[in-house]
Parts: sequence; C-alpha cells; structure tokens
Amino acid sequence: METEVKEKTVSIEKPDIVAPENWQPVIIGILCNWCSYAGSDLTGTSRIQYPPNIRIIRVPCSSRVDPWFIIKALQTTADGVLISGCHPGDCHYISGNYYARRRFLVTKKLLNMVGFHEDRVQFSWVSAAEGPKFAQVVAKVTGDIRKLGPLHLYKKENLDK
Amino acid sequence: MDYTKQIQDIAAKLFAENKIDVFVGYRMNGFDDNQVPVLVTDPREVSLLVFTDKSVFNLSNYLKADHTRNKRVGLVVKGCDSRSLNLLLTEGQVKREKLYVVGICCEGVVDDKGQKMQNCAECMIPDAVVYDELFGTPKGKKEYQVNVDVSALSGKTLVKRREYFEEIFGNCIRCNACRHSCPLCYCAKCCIDQETSTLYHGANTTSSAFHALMTWSLHLAGRCVDCRNCEKACPSHLPLHLLHKQNEQVIYENFQEHLAGVIPDDRGAFYKYSLKDPDDFIM
Repeated sequence: METEVKEKTVSIEKPDIVAPENWQPVIIGILCNWCSYAGSDLTGTSRIQYPPNIRIIRVPCSSRVDPWFIIKALQTTADGVLISGCHPGDCHYISGNYYARRRFLVTKKLLNMVGFHEDRVQFSWVSAAEGPKFAQVVAKVTGDIRKLGPLHLYKKENLDK
Repeated sequence: MDYTKQIQDIAAKLFAENKIDVFVGYRMNGFDDNQVPVLVTDPREVSLLVFTDKSVFNLSNYLKADHTRNKRVGLVVKGCDSRSLNLLLTEGQVKREKLYVVGICCEGVVDDKGQKMQNCAECMIPDAVVYDELFGTPKGKKEYQVNVDVSALSGKTLVKRREYFEEIFGNCIRCNACRHSCPLCYCAKCCIDQETSTLYHGANTTSSAFHALMTWSLHLAGRCVDCRNCEKACPSHLPLHLLHKQNEQVIYENFQEHLAGVIPDDRGAFYKYSLKDPDDFIM
C-alpha cells in the first residue's frame, strides 16, 4: 500500500504557522494603465492561461504607487504584491517609472529588514505587447508565494468583532 | 564645545538692532544639567541662552510652530539641524529673509549618560551648511560610515529580524511624538491619521503601529537628516533610527551617494532620478 506524503506549506516568516489544506495565495497586482494593464488585457484576449490568484488594480502610472499601498495590501488580504509598469524609457508620462524605480528599491529593502521575505513584493516591467511575458511573470510570482506560504505578519485585526 | 557667550552676545545684538522678533535656542532645564529648547522674545531673557555639548534637540522643528510663523526668527543650528533647515527652505516652508541663522561647527553632542551620541560618531556633515554667522572651525565632509545597528541586524536571519521588529512595533504606544518632533513632518493633516482611523478605528495595536511607523519612515526616506529628534522624544525608547538609517544606506549606496539637505534646492532622493539606477531587482 502506498501512502502519499504531502509536504505541508509553512509560512517562511513564522515557521509555526502551517497553511490550511487547499490554501491558495492571494496576490495583489498593481498595474500601470498604459503598458502592463494593456499587456494583461492582451494575455486574456490571446487566450494565454495564467494563475487566477492575482487580483488586479489599475493605476495611471507606476509612480502613482505610494509605498504605503504595498504596506496596506500586505496588512489586509495579500500574501504577496506584484507591481508592474512600463519599461524604462516607455513611460506614458515620460519619466514616471524612473521615479517609481527608486521608491521600489527602498521599499523592498526596508520590508525585507523588518522581516518580510524579499519575494513577497515583486516588480516587473511589462509592455502592452508582452502578453506571454505577463503570463510568465504571474506564474513565477504565484509559484514563489506558494513556496513562501501564507503571510501572517502585522495583519489587520478584525476590530468589529 | 561651549558657545554660550557668543550666542548670548549675538542674540542681544540682534534684539538691539531690531532684526528679530524671537530667538530660538537652548536653556538649562532647571533641575539637572540637561537642556530644553527656549523661545526668547524679551531681550532681558537673553542670559537664559546656553550652548554646550548637551544641546541635543533640533531647533528647526520650532520653525513650524505658531510662535515663530510669520515672525523674524533667530535660530541656532548644528550640522544636522542646518540640513533639515535647508530642506524646509527648499520645500517652501520657511522664508530665508525672515531667518537669522547662527551656525555651529558641531563636535558632537552627548546623551543623558554623557556618552557621545551614535549619530554624532557617524556624522558626515558636522558643520552647518546654512548660516549667517558661523562659530567654530569648519572640519569639512567626513567619510560615510554604515550604521553599526543596521549592519548587525542585516547579518541576522529573517525570522530573528521579524521577532526583533515585532517587539519594537508592539511596544509603540502610538503617541505620535516622533511625528511631532520631526522637523520635516509639517503636513497639517497627516495621511497616516486618516488611514489608521478608518482601517484600525484609531486602535493601538501592533499592526497599526507597523502601518504608522513604516509609512512614516518611507515618507521621510531620502529626506531624513538623522538628527534623532524622534528617538529623543519617544517615550518607549524605540530604536527608530533603524528604519531611517536602513533607508539612508540604500539611498546612499544606490543613488549617487545622495545625502538629504546638503545641497540647497535639492528636494530629496525621490524627487529626481538617474538612468543608471539599479534595475536588477525588477523582472
């Protein structure tokens, strides 16, 4: 008789927390209107499959993303955050993504220092023509977060109860 | 480092020439050898003013108070204080023509125990960068040093760091003293208050403290001058410099050795960009 030993997913930041069975990660994707959102649209219209774990929010530009949005997403429902914008030089507002790039690096390093795994927050450049790349990016991020396990760090308490 | 006499003289001279309405300096607190800030409006009170190596507070914080707004102000600044004053000038919060700045070439201040403060030991710009009158001999720019606490922490594992910071955020009582004592936090309505009142109903929890302190430190990244007013004001003695120094280190190493407030009209690391900024962390 064969018994299948399934490896349990453990939260990497808190090793005592084990993910429930059939746990699915929740990823918040913040996409820029002009490149990445159009890119994700192309992925859909080209009928390329990508994991349904991502919940997409559309913003006018990647520089619209305050580091605060990332913190807020991680504190509410998200197990991971993906932020995507235009390639350097392609920004609809000429230089928005250059400003965003600086903020992202500092945010990523600070979150890593206070105890978040560095793969919890990821960034990508996806243009409006890169439908297959968007599917690859989402698959990679979902796979990474699945390995890291559920996020149970500084989650907002339900104070209404 | 004792400039008490010079500062009393110059304050008396400025009042006599009717150049200022209020002079912001330090005085003895009255019961031990520590000092507190004082706003002198009467020329007869000039003898209260002192300046020694116990003059720890950043007085540019008092430029955002009602007592000094729209008035002609005399002000004592050390190296770090002058950098935050530079940022306030650049961001249009104070007018240069209404200020008379007494700059000090700082030799480092000491804490309650008489030891040299950590930020003074690691200070890069000890001389005042904005001044009308400069006391002391300028020492010039020093070498950049990585903060010892930040480098010690980055050597630890992820779980250890998480445990350490969970304790820090758990000890925060959300009194907002760090924000009020910060010279660069001058917004009339803070976005953190708005968010914590809706997300957390104003409750003081570890998660709301995490939200407030992380947002605060990221809004100050590239502008923080490491004066440590926040840490001196914190009633829970939280090591808030860890967040700021981590940001400062990342910015200094990656963005063309940027230091906040050293060059006039330099608004901070997040208000400019370079095509050579690191891109390897982005897919």
